[in-house]
Amino acid sequence: MNMSLNRRLLLAASIILFIFLGLTGLALDNAFYRSAEQSVRESLQGKIFALLAASDFNGDTEKLLIEEPLPDPRLSSPQSGLYAQIYAHNNVVWKSPSAVGLSLPAANAVKIGSWKFQQIDSSDKKSAYFILGFSAAWENNQGKPFSFQFQVLEDFSKFENQVGSFRNSLWGWLVAATIFLLLAQALVLRWSLKPLRSVATDLDRVKAGEADRLHENYPDEIRGLTQGINTFIDSERNQRDRYRHTLADLAHSLKTPLAVLNAGIDSSQAKDGAQMQEQIERMRQIVDYQLQRASAAGRTTMGVQTPLLPVITRIVDSLQKVHVDQGIQCPIDINEQLQFPGEQGDLFEMCGNLLENAYKWAHKQIRVSAKLQQDMLLIRIEDDGPGIPESQRAQVLQRGKRADETVTGFGIGLSVVNEIVSVYGGSMHISDSKDLGGACMLINIPLTNVQT
Amino acid sequence: MRILLIEDEPALRQQLQAGLSDAGFIVECAEDGKEGLFQGQEYVFDLAVVDLGLPKMSGIEVIQSWRKQGKDFPILILTARDRWQEKVEGLEAGADDYMVKPFSQEELLARIRALLRRSSGWSQSQLNCGPIRLDMTAQAVSVNEQLVEMTAYEYRILEFLILHAGEVISKTKLTEHIYHQDFDRDSNVIEVLVGRLRKKIDPDNEYKPIETLRGRGYRFALSRDTEA
Repeated sequence: MNMSLNRRLLLAASIILFIFLGLTGLALDNAFYRSAEQSVRESLQGKIFALLAASDFNGDTEKLLIEEPLPDPRLSSPQSGLYAQIYAHNNVVWKSPSAVGLSLPAANAVKIGSWKFQQIDSSDKKSAYFILGFSAAWENNQGKPFSFQFQVLEDFSKFENQVGSFRNSLWGWLVAATIFLLLAQALVLRWSLKPLRSVATDLDRVKAGEADRLHENYPDEIRGLTQGINTFIDSERNQRDRYRHTLADLAHSLKTPLAVLNAGIDSSQAKDGAQMQEQIERMRQIVDYQLQRASAAGRTTMGVQTPLLPVITRIVDSLQKVHVDQGIQCPIDINEQLQFPGEQGDLFEMCGNLLENAYKWAHKQIRVSAKLQQDMLLIRIEDDGPGIPESQRAQVLQRGKRADETVTGFGIGLSVVNEIVSVYGGSMHISDSKDLGGACMLINIPLTNVQT
Repeated sequence: MRILLIEDEPALRQQLQAGLSDAGFIVECAEDGKEGLFQGQEYVFDLAVVDLGLPKMSGIEVIQSWRKQGKDFPILILTARDRWQEKVEGLEAGADDYMVKPFSQEELLARIRALLRRSSGWSQSQLNCGPIRLDMTAQAVSVNEQLVEMTAYEYRILEFLILHAGEVISKTKLTEHIYHQDFDRDSNVIEVLVGRLRKKIDPDNEYKPIETLRGRGYRFALSRDTEA
């Protein structure tokens, strides 16, 4: 499961929040219910004590009299919700005036001196009551005990309303608190994860070549990570530079001795001079090829971009100067917005070799054009020279092969271009130019990061 | 023809100097950028061969300074690192052609001759002026298709005069271009050489190819054939 950090944290915190607030709600609800019930019981108990106080047992008639006025006015007004009844031997001997016309349920008998509190439904199940029973006994004149059972009833609906309104407000507040906490948590998460998101955008900028490295001002927790990335970027860059410089130095130091050897053979006119010269030429090609191949920077993590038109214009102007005698026309059809997705050196190498080749072979016309096509940069160089026979095309693109030994640098130039192009994940094609009749060199460079 | 060679690698410099001298050029050498810059500023040259990777001052800076001072002799750059950017920078600085090390002497000579021709307006290596034909590659002169034997100095004088056909060339200038710097300029060797040259290419005094302008110098009087 590849969930985002944000979603993980939000989900976990939400679940914990729901469980916690739910349990809190239940506990509060329960506690309130218990205490409300307790207060009902206590108030009913008070009523019974008041009734007992108002009761008078006549020892002669053996009758129980309730003195008026009754201890609670609600007992006098009909259907007030508070009722009282007195039983003797399971017969109702007295009923409060409030109970007129009601059939009240009866509680079970209890022992003298003890209490019984219960919740009971009426016989028609339409209403429910809290009922508190208490048994008391009086003696008649002969000392014979008479027991009476006092019962006070409180309509349940009033209690229910009270509990209901408490519940409504309790859960209402809890839901509001939940929503507030979730929102707060989302904001806190957003804020806390912001540095991580900016690392990501920072990395994108580095990738796109807009920045060299990540910023330094990150929180302690991820500074280790960002510094690690920066160190990595730097060391990779240093290592690449060192590698390229070492190779350039190596090739440089080999080439001058080769030039000396080569020049020496010319003047010595030895018998096997031609063969030696051939071998030196091979060595030169190997050095050239390996140097150019190794120094092709290729696409790196720092997505460098180089404007295409200025580089090609500079190469064409330079070659035009060298080949001024030939009177070659070389129109350039390139939009100045076009960018080459790589280092300037690589672009110089590719276009320089291709154009040098074109100038070598062309009679009067060369044409350079470039365009974008489906995330690919297409560079096309055509000439009106003899072209390259189809049978030799694969060969000149191979490393160090030459199609024509008499023209220096022909094969190696194209194979170097092919090598650089492949470092960029692109491809190179040789065909016949339809318009000019000579060779047509086409290179495709993908703009998106296809790492080799 | 006087060539300035700036190359820091002693072995290569000596070989190139020997090769170019054998080919009939007067070669002056410099082993670093500053010395080369000075020589190019102070003396007369027909062409410079400049290595780009030089100590003290880079080849590109040397070329830029010369061009800023209005020196317009052709420049051929030598580069050990065949990085295209460097070639382009050298050409933009004012060089006219480039050679990538290592190269063969023949190719270097061919490029130098082509540059010399180009700078004097010729586009072929055979210079034709009426009956006289001078082949810069073979360093051979023929009159009416008859090969004329001549010494290196005679050839140099004729080549220089033909390349600058129509222009008045003073004795001093001729001396500068065909001899080393330390040549004794008071001698009348030039007059002797020109006299011999006239006898060789025009024994019957028929075409009068080399005019003497008293007090001013010499002029090659035959006009160029229109080139094919």
